[in-house]
Amino acid sequence: MANKNNYVSKDKLGKNISKKEIKVKTKEDNELKEKKEIKEKNTSAKNVILSIKNASYRYSDAEEDDYALKNVSFDFECGKLYAIRGRSGTGKTTLLSLISGLEKCTEGEIIFAGKSLKDMNLDKYRNSDIGIVFQSYNLLPFMTASENIILSMDANGLKIKSKKEKAIELMEKVGLKASYANRKVLRLSGGEQQRVAIARSLSYNPKMIIADEPTGNLDKQTESEILEIFKKLAHEENKCVIIVTHSQNVCDTVDKIYDLKKVKDVN
Amino acid sequence: MFILKNAWISIKRNKGRNILIGIIILIIACACTITLAIKNTAVDLIDSYKSAYDKEVTIGFNRENMMKGFDPSQEEGRESAREKFDNIASYTISDVEKFADSDYIESYYYTYGVGLNGNSIEKAEIESNNDMPNGFGHGRENNMSSTDFTLTGYSSQDAMSEFISGAYTMSEITDNAWDIAFNGNYIFINEELASYNNLKLNDKVKLEDEDGNVYEFEIIGIFKENEEDNQESMSMFSNSVNTIITNSEAVVKLTDGNENLKASIHPTFIINSYDNVEKLQDEFYEKGLDENFILQTNEELAESGVSSVKNISSFSTSFLIITLIIGGIVLFVINMINIRERKYEIGVLRTIGISKLKLTMQFVAELVIVSVIALTLGAGIGAVSSKGVSNSLLANEISSSNEKTEEINKNFGGINHDGARGGMHGKGMPVVQAYDSIDAVVDIKVLIELLSIGLSLVLVSSIASMVSIQRFSPLTILKERS
Repeated sequence: MANKNNYVSKDKLGKNISKKEIKVKTKEDNELKEKKEIKEKNTSAKNVILSIKNASYRYSDAEEDDYALKNVSFDFECGKLYAIRGRSGTGKTTLLSLISGLEKCTEGEIIFAGKSLKDMNLDKYRNSDIGIVFQSYNLLPFMTASENIILSMDANGLKIKSKKEKAIELMEKVGLKASYANRKVLRLSGGEQQRVAIARSLSYNPKMIIADEPTGNLDKQTESEILEIFKKLAHEENKCVIIVTHSQNVCDTVDKIYDLKKVKDVN
Repeated sequence: MFILKNAWISIKRNKGRNILIGIIILIIACACTITLAIKNTAVDLIDSYKSAYDKEVTIGFNRENMMKGFDPSQEEGRESAREKFDNIASYTISDVEKFADSDYIESYYYTYGVGLNGNSIEKAEIESNNDMPNGFGHGRENNMSSTDFTLTGYSSQDAMSEFISGAYTMSEITDNAWDIAFNGNYIFINEELASYNNLKLNDKVKLEDEDGNVYEFEIIGIFKENEEDNQESMSMFSNSVNTIITNSEAVVKLTDGNENLKASIHPTFIINSYDNVEKLQDEFYEKGLDENFILQTNEELAESGVSSVKNISSFSTSFLIITLIIGGIVLFVINMINIRERKYEIGVLRTIGISKLKLTMQFVAELVIVSVIALTLGAGIGAVSSKGVSNSLLANEISSSNEKTEEINKNFGGINHDGARGGMHGKGMPVVQAYDSIDAVVDIKVLIELLSIGLSLVLVSSIASMVSIQRFSPLTILKERS
């Protein structure tokens, strides 16, 4: 009887298992599960390249409680494609300017590769750690495609033998013909200019690309091609790509979407 | 390198604007080169002209001080002024030696004069009242005006300023005259006096004082007075006809122990700089010079010959200042417009991580490159034109100066003062030779000045770009553009 009571269950092989043995097994399973979770968490933490912690922004001429962005906290990892989505006035561009170091948080902080932007040289940060792509391309119209890319290399202080060759290589990478290198950017189409802007942002091999409505001025076909480039950069080159957008097509392509709400909705 | 490379690209890209800036800087540089060349050459001329003169200081009456409280309408006032004049403490040879012992004085000489009557010779009669001999404009001439002759003793050859200036020239002289001239009773007399008294070299001459003491002198030289210095005299004789020249020691011997024979000393001090005259005067007062005396310099005379050059120099300075102010404002405005036009470029460059400092340096470098090219061209053109421009300016100055002189002469009844300028002073100044041309030279000094002025101007006018770049928010610029 005593033996009968002791063996309350059978294992996968049909062997009888006592209550005591079940207890030990459960404990072991739990420990393994915990370890696995911690490992996953650590791996994820290691991948986080940019962390926004309770960031708020208020324009200098705004009233005390009139925030353009309030208490935003997002994490971004390498190798992933992100979208920051939101209606007009939700502070998408403000967030982009905070991430790119063009503005500073009123409250909270942004941490890049373990360092707060507050403690970093933001000019250096912009010309070596991140690449920025704008909706309106922001290329210098009096320069050729390759000159725009080389200018960015110069700003970074990149020391390579042939900057022009490197520029052409980058152009080809984003789907532009080498023959466009000597063409003034104003003679290129919108999609081509955007590709030049992407090539420029890649010229010093940054860890993160930030794009503000990069396909806003482009047709569907070109939009898809540009998105494909960003996807490759994230998945194949392990870059963190953040796209600020309100395009559903973009949102369908990315790995993760962060939604921004209007400050008053948040309140 | 990045800054210079970008600056050069921008210069090539904005050809029109940079050519405009270049032309403005070229005009400024040209004007500056000409004015600087004229100014520096004029300053050099003035300096060299002044250095040709000894910087001389003499002692004269402080008339302003003496006339204090003087009321000519009151008999009492006149009396007190006379008393004041009589009570002025005169200075002696030992005082002069004491004064000369100063850090400001390089050397000194003096004339020592005394009035004597003829014993073996007769005074050459002079018809007009204008018969005061030269060399006694200062000091106290007690008994000389009432005596026949003026015995003037010189301390050294340097003191014989009339001979140095050419107012007097020696017509006859004994072989050893200059060996003995300053040691003993030897004299030089005017050739008119010699002829009037039938005197020749080595003759003995006897003179006496008012107490009847007789003094004997030997003639070792006969001089004549130049006509130029004699034009003012209405006499048949020259001004110096009754002036007998000897050495100061001879005069000292005469006056020693003879209280009635009062001599007048006229010292001339050669100083190291006109800037020290006030300090020297204070030192003289401390050493016992009566405060009714004042120090007078020959600076004005030395400067009178270069007045035309000085006018041009000051005109050049004014012109330079005006050019720089106008040029600076124009450049500043062009820079402001330039920055406004290039706002988008600034925004893009800031966005891709070019620092404010680098951007500012790029904008300044662009202006500096254009300026250096324009300054070089401007200096070249200025160097070629400066001589012609300066001489044409001087020609106008000289003609207007001559007109003024003629007008002054007319005011004085037409007597030509100008010709007697050196001699009138009577202290040995050469007749002033005014400059009538300037060879303006663009030398290394002018180039350094031009470069400093040009670059300062560029930096001042770059303030617009520096301030704007600091102020601009790249995001705002790019948003505006979008």
